Amino acid sequence: MAIIEKRFGATDGWVNMPDGTSHYTFGFVDITGIPEKQIFEYRGKATLLAPLLEVYQGDEVYLTLTNLGLPSRPDLDDTHTIHWHGFPNQIPLWDGVPEASISVPVGRDFTYYYKPLDPGTYMYHCHFEPVEHIQMGMVGPLIVRPQLEKDLGRKFAYNDESTEFEREVLIFLTELDAEPHYLVANVQEFDWTEYSPEYWLISGRSYPDTVKPGNEPTLPLQPFSSLIEACEGEKVLLRFINLGFQEHSIQILGVPFKVVGQDAQQLRGYHGEDISYWRNTLYIGAGQTVDAIFTAPRLGIYPLYSRNHHKNTIAGISFGGMITEVRVLPAP
Amino acid sequence: MSLINLWVKDGYLSTPDGNSIYFWGFSKSENGPAQLPGPHMVVTQGETVTVNLYNTLSEPVSISFPGQTGVTVEGQPVQPQYSAGRLVSFVNHAEPGDMVSYTFTATHPGTFIYESGTNPHVQIPMGLYGGMVVRPADYDPNVKEYKTAYGTGTDTEFDREYLLIMGEIDPDLHQAVEEGRSYLISKYMPRYWTLNGRCAPDTMLMDNMDHLPHQPYSSMIMAQPGEKVLIRYIGAGIGNHSLHPHGNHTRIVGMDGRLLRNGNVDLSYKRFTVLVGPGQTYDQIYQWDGLGYTPENPIPITLPNLRNMGIGNVGWTMWSGSPYLGVKGDIPKGVTSFNEFGEYYFMLHSHKEPQITNWGEFPGGMMTMIAIYPSLSPDVGILT
Ligand SMILES: [Cu+2]
Ligand SMILES: [Cu+2]
Repeated sequence: MAIIEKRFGATDGWVNMPDGTSHYTFGFVDITGIPEKQIFEYRGKATLLAPLLEVYQGDEVYLTLTNLGLPSRPDLDDTHTIHWHGFPNQIPLWDGVPEASISVPVGRDFTYYYKPLDPGTYMYHCHFEPVEHIQMGMVGPLIVRPQLEKDLGRKFAYNDESTEFEREVLIFLTELDAEPHYLVANVQEFDWTEYSPEYWLISGRSYPDTVKPGNEPTLPLQPFSSLIEACEGEKVLLRFINLGFQEHSIQILGVPFKVVGQDAQQLRGYHGEDISYWRNTLYIGAGQTVDAIFTAPRLGIYPLYSRNHHKNTIAGISFGGMITEVRVLPAP
Repeated sequence: MSLINLWVKDGYLSTPDGNSIYFWGFSKSENGPAQLPGPHMVVTQGETVTVNLYNTLSEPVSISFPGQTGVTVEGQPVQPQYSAGRLVSFVNHAEPGDMVSYTFTATHPGTFIYESGTNPHVQIPMGLYGGMVVRPADYDPNVKEYKTAYGTGTDTEFDREYLLIMGEIDPDLHQAVEEGRSYLISKYMPRYWTLNGRCAPDTMLMDNMDHLPHQPYSSMIMAQPGEKVLIRYIGAGIGNHSLHPHGNHTRIVGMDGRLLRNGNVDLSYKRFTVLVGPGQTYDQIYQWDGLGYTPENPIPITLPNLRNMGIGNVGWTMWSGSPYLGVKGDIPKGVTSFNEFGEYYFMLHSHKEPQITNWGEFPGGMMTMIAIYPSLSPDVGILT
């Protein structure tokens, strides 16, 4: 059990799409350990996705949120929160719902405390006017690792040896409707019932950016690659998170997978029954997470894509959007 | 034997942003208001149920009972109705000014929908839907192991229960029907999303509010820590709704009025978000146990000065101002607080976030709260 102290700044930024467009965003940036007088250098540097929050079961997490303000919208004094989506038995103070506790105004801090006991894949997001702040990009992945990893020195999704894996990749699904991003940047209101995205993203990027490395210089505020690399025979855990507003249907051509967990719960019945199952297609709703494991097949490239094929485009032009690749390398 | 009389008539719904929307609904009595959703039907497994439908509209109306078998009219199985070779209704209907009587035996416990079977693409979005709960044959609300969703021995005991029926409203449809104009449902474009016929924040008001005569049902869920809360969902709209309760997962024990169990194998599962498709029903147990913090076992952070924090940015707050259940803190002056006893509120809402707006404005739509009270009367949270 460790004590983990983190500090995230809430601010704005810009993200790039492969068609050369860029879009105004709100988001979080990791400012852990940055001296107080330097934190304002992180204004305007929100990343999409927000920083990965990764802890072990039983850790004590002190997560301080600092509202750095929005340099591109200095007139807008929105408050922000962090909502750990799916945290069991939470109390309102740390649940991040402004209508049911508190939010963080510009220039202020608040520390959320979590002691997660249930391993699995979660997500976090701002819950202030959530339709706007989620679409604007205040979304991040959250992993709670099981005690079994420490006990056995190997990797597991849950406290069960059947959930062992060698490699893992986040498949974080969102959409981007350029219009509200444009209107927010230009101090105008959007009618959210008209939401109609034309960019579909995996971990904050549209293909072919999805297969570029994490530190790609042309994507300074989109640090997450979703390229899946594994050696033949290795077990790969895909952590699917849907923090868009639509259902998504994901396939990996030639690679069936076993669903071992959903919504940060291992697939076990009330009396421990094994209710895991195999799929070719993962249909996932808004606000759900899924843990799926496959064994890397023979050498080659296997595309992962949306079966809603219109989402494998950049504003309607193929290919782009919700595509990435499984690249199987020779066994070492 | 249960006899239920329903009158189909019209009325006007209110939305929190001040709109008044023409709708069709079921009413409990000849002189009562049409309501959205229709009156809850609560019957017992094995019971013979007769539903008499009186049609006051100017077009045929019927009721279908998805999930029920052996529904009859005048002793014969219900049948699709045709006029000049064209399908009019999935089941026998009542002509304008007329009446039709359906009879069936409720063979399975669980949660079901009842809805129009006539021009359903218009009549259901217009409001002709409601919920039906079938209690297990051995149900006894006074004996713990017999107060269950699916019968004793099925691991479905509950302390309180709530029914949430989801719908959408496209005001263009309602206006077109009111004015007798045509409308293409293929252009369906909801602007409001409803729980039990209301949009947030009205969802959180009590049952039978005077200013909502056509929308009698609250969607506020109330319980004490550690209680088993049976939450029944019905997807009565055309679209999908991805419902996420804060505070804890739910354990899904039944779908479509069937226990999730194969023989001895329990197939129930826990989720933090349930994607409810059109026509589906879900029975789930929610339980909030808390983290054990009290003034004697305090939280490990210092509460900031609340005057420096954001509270009540939508014009009100439901927070007590204290981290502790049953304790009231110091809400800054000028902020309206709806917190009475230091209770905790957890949002329950669609994670398709445009659905938690009223015509694009947050907060609204398909959103309510789960209230955890330090203590609560045992009379709260029983469907009748
Ligand atoms: Cu969420
Ligand atoms: Cu939420």
